[in-house]
Amino acid sequence: MILSRNAEDLYWMGRYLERTEHLCRLLSCQVETLVDRPVREINFGWRRIYDSMSRRPPGPAIYFAASDDEEDDDYTLADSFTLADDLTFEPTNPDAVRSGLARARENARQVRHRISGETWTCLNETWLGFRARTIDQIWKAAPEAFYVGVAHELNTLAGVAQTTMYRDEGWRFLQLGRFTERAQLTIALLLAQLSLVRVEPRASVEADWSSLLRICQAVDAYAQCHGVEIVADRVLDLLAGDVLLPRSLCRALDGAAGTLDAAALGPGPIAEARQLAHDLAATTRRRWPRQPTLDDRADRLRHMQRECRALHDLVYAAYIGYEAEGAPVR
Amino acid sequence: MDFRSYELDAAVYDEMFLPDGTPREHSRALHDTLRGLSADELATIQSRVTRSFVSEGITFTVYGSAEAEERIIPIDCVPRILPAAEWQLLETGLTQRMRAVNRFLVDVYGDARAVADGVVPEDIVFGCPQFRPEMRGVRAPRDVWAAICGSDIVRTNDGFIVLEDNLRVPSGVSYMIANRKAVKSSLRRLYRRCRVREVEHYGRLLRRTLVELAPEGRHDPAIALLTPGVHNSAFYEHVFLAHEIGAELVEGRDLLTRNGLVYMRTTEGLRRIDVIYRRVDDDFLDPEVFRADSMLGVPGLLEAYRLGGVSLVNAPGTGVADDKSVYPYIPDLIRYYLGEDALLANVPTHICRRPQELEYTLDNLENLVVKQVGASGGYGMLVGPHSTPGQRESYAAAMREDPAGYISQPVLELSRAPCLIEGRAAARRVDLRPFVLTGRETRLVPGAFSRVALREGSLVVNSSQGGGGKDVWVLDE
Repeated sequence: MILSRNAEDLYWMGRYLERTEHLCRLLSCQVETLVDRPVREINFGWRRIYDSMSRRPPGPAIYFAASDDEEDDDYTLADSFTLADDLTFEPTNPDAVRSGLARARENARQVRHRISGETWTCLNETWLGFRARTIDQIWKAAPEAFYVGVAHELNTLAGVAQTTMYRDEGWRFLQLGRFTERAQLTIALLLAQLSLVRVEPRASVEADWSSLLRICQAVDAYAQCHGVEIVADRVLDLLAGDVLLPRSLCRALDGAAGTLDAAALGPGPIAEARQLAHDLAATTRRRWPRQPTLDDRADRLRHMQRECRALHDLVYAAYIGYEAEGAPVR
Repeated sequence: MDFRSYELDAAVYDEMFLPDGTPREHSRALHDTLRGLSADELATIQSRVTRSFVSEGITFTVYGSAEAEERIIPIDCVPRILPAAEWQLLETGLTQRMRAVNRFLVDVYGDARAVADGVVPEDIVFGCPQFRPEMRGVRAPRDVWAAICGSDIVRTNDGFIVLEDNLRVPSGVSYMIANRKAVKSSLRRLYRRCRVREVEHYGRLLRRTLVELAPEGRHDPAIALLTPGVHNSAFYEHVFLAHEIGAELVEGRDLLTRNGLVYMRTTEGLRRIDVIYRRVDDDFLDPEVFRADSMLGVPGLLEAYRLGGVSLVNAPGTGVADDKSVYPYIPDLIRYYLGEDALLANVPTHICRRPQELEYTLDNLENLVVKQVGASGGYGMLVGPHSTPGQRESYAAAMREDPAGYISQPVLELSRAPCLIEGRAAARRVDLRPFVLTGRETRLVPGAFSRVALREGSLVVNSSQGGGGKDVWVLDE
């Protein structure tokens, strides 16, 4: 049994950590493309990031030119600097890496007595290291190394938490936040990908889908399962439904369902929350379209996106925002 | 460590050296060790100590600071040493003081005999803003109103002097423990050789104290630490203590009262709380009784306390005993309640609500320290010798306007101790804040948070005013 407010902080700490690590992965792959990829591919990458966040980039919209001749290399690179800054250091951007880290730390600060000292120190040092950097500094050197570094620190933090934290209710809410966020981020990323390949006639299966695999750290898994030829359907199915892939959607949803099963009985609608989590987990396997087109999959993902939001609301109603009047006394 | 330019002054007690420049007996080992360390080695030690505070986020917040909400308190790596006999005096003196303070509080909110007998003037007690008429007739568990106290003590050539008794929400104990952890691992061999008494068990003593003050019949009480929240300057300490004592760290919004009992909202429903170690000021505790606009408190909390459904530590209304205008009467109160002379002296204090003492203060502003009665943390204070004519004028005007709001005291020559400043030993003013716990009995851990005025020549040790901290090593017999 833990304080509802602590559960909320741990849940959000998990969500922000996951979100930040995810964004760092997106950005490390994206800034890598600046080295040698065509402008179209770079623009596709930026659009994918912003669309998956449902966010408008600062400045003019990122457009896809009709042909390679119309693309301006210098403009794209200068623009990339602005976009990277917006997504990394911009203090007014609530979706930036900076905000994610700051909020995760702020949540952690409120529950320092509920997390291991090692976890706190690791997060605090990551934040202090991040805070000391600027976009100019990282842009001069290899910016991808910076993003890889931050993601690596956040993965280390996850490992430190994994090995040092007591498996109590607090741990479960931290995990629940992570899994829920991971599921939502993956769905949003896949939906952005599906939507962009429809609007961009020059979308390349090879480049745009293999970059998606890199973002999701699934290049090796894909090669092992399907060989070297990149096929859009297969990429999507791997990322959504492979139970062995660490960051697959189905593993995230299994994780959420399992965590909710292990969590205490809250005063609110816990049975509904558990049922929904299991239904969602089953969707990526049993109810995933059998002879699917990409559009079928997009529909299914949109449905899951709504259900994930509903799951979040049910968790809140079950454990955090319940009415005190009539709540059981333990 | 280079002591060549270390300044000694016969008028100021030095914690390490005798007036002739030889180290005091109890500081010899420390002195010899420090002298054997090069500037580089000392810098490494200092940076390790500072680094541990940064990494672990041991911070405080400075009010009114636009940037850097969280700050690291500067910790000097050179410990201050107290021999066993000196600690013994402090322990006995503070225990005596707390016994008298608790007797006074029982009396003030009961028959007020000390007032009737003229020991302390009626207007001083009942006119004090910290006196809470709502608490009249309330019995505190075991008659302990002030269970947790962090007295500020300074040393002059005349010995130890109690500067003030902090009874409301004294902070600093977490720094005492954090300092110890950081400094002992940096001076490990010396630490072992010196046979320093431990302080790390403070949390256990605090828990035991709180358990002893639980409502009757609650043998395994649920304890919560009530914090104003993450923006409070001492939030780190609240988290630290909650962890140390195995308490829930709650805010007012986590609690509710029902039928004279207090509950917190958990993931499994409501759970009763028996003891609240509150770090929220009286004013904000209960909007139904004190400030109605308080968002930090819990409606009905005071009623639950009155009914015995929950223990509040320290009890509301305790502040009347550490008010700056009541402070001068503590030695008399010790004599009155205990029939003993105070073992620890007070600073001679002029109470400006008395016309003669106001006049004296106004005539001698340059030589006095003036304090606002209700202020703390080094705010609202005028250090005469370091003030400008303009500051003195504005204080004088404010004092004429509200004489009862001020007291004055002579400027004390606080003792000095060596600190590592720019690679060398430099003498800086220090004070001492030991922490006294009172439950079934009075307990102290042998140690304290020693604050240091790190700015050269400064007498103000408050962390909010540029002060730092030092570890205090109390030696075994």
